[in-house]
Amino acid sequence: MIKQKMNKKAADKIISVYWFAILFIVAAGIFYMVSSFYGKPYDIRQIEVGLLSDKAADCVSYAGFLREGVLTQGFKDSFLETCGITFGTEDSYGWTDESEYFLQLNFYDFDSYQEASQNSLFEVSAGNQRLQDFCNLKGKGFPVCLERKFYTLDKDGKKYIVKINSIVKKIEKNSQ
Amino acid sequence: MKNKRQKKKSFFSYTFSSKNRRGNILTENIIFIVLNLVFIVILMLFLFSKTGTASVLEEKYAKQIALAIDAAEPSMTIHLNMEDAIEIAEKENLPLGEIVKINENIVTVKLREKGGYSYSFFNNVKVNTNFNAQNKEYYFVIEKND
Repeated sequence: MIKQKMNKKAADKIISVYWFAILFIVAAGIFYMVSSFYGKPYDIRQIEVGLLSDKAADCVSYAGFLREGVLTQGFKDSFLETCGITFGTEDSYGWTDESEYFLQLNFYDFDSYQEASQNSLFEVSAGNQRLQDFCNLKGKGFPVCLERKFYTLDKDGKKYIVKINSIVKKIEKNSQ
Repeated sequence: MKNKRQKKKSFFSYTFSSKNRRGNILTENIIFIVLNLVFIVILMLFLFSKTGTASVLEEKYAKQIALAIDAAEPSMTIHLNMEDAIEIAEKENLPLGEIVKINENIVTVKLREKGGYSYSFFNNVKVNTNFNAQNKEYYFVIEKND
């Protein structure tokens, strides 16, 4: 009887030791997870690249129709100014040396368009072209790329497919 | 009468004899519960301290403002409640009207004397930054850039 009682007391102690060991492991886990979560920057590039793409789409097309003067050399020359876009960034991590953005618009004839089509009727781009090389790579520490396309008409009723390729780098402040 | 007395006696004797044992159990349990509560409180304090630090809020608001401006169009006004950030700036004795600064297309949020976080936006607009002390909010008036 006494032995049983002693065993029970010892077992209780062991349970409490285990309990505190579990608490310690849980606490360590939570400390690690919270520290690693808040230690990393918020990655907003997915939203940013989407907004950039929307801005470019609004710039060339309105209510399903191409805006006037889009398919001209003048638009190509002053693409960013016309669309109200600026690629200037803060002077950190050497961001001012090379642009952290890239934006490219390709206009294809709707009837002859194919998914792998390379020859566009009209092309306009701005920013750091080299960022395109990273788009097919998977993993962390690469720029965020977004490719979208939409259908539009010009005032004569000619149909176009517009493909927008937008890229945001800004790795240092979004991904670590 | 005798029976009742006997019963009463046996009741007292039972409670008295098991008092020490029960007292031990109670004390052990209380200590155990208190330690668990202390553990939970420390965890909660750690979580709150991590989520509400000046550096985290600086980054959060700088990026939030940059994204809001990117999505905005001229003639829009963006209102942003920054109560938590303003509380920190008050503790640091920083002028509340200078927490958010927008220089060309770069947003800077500063909640500490030695600190601050900057993030750029691509929307080529002019942004007027205003502070409403009553509502503890900032509002940004978007205008066309000439």
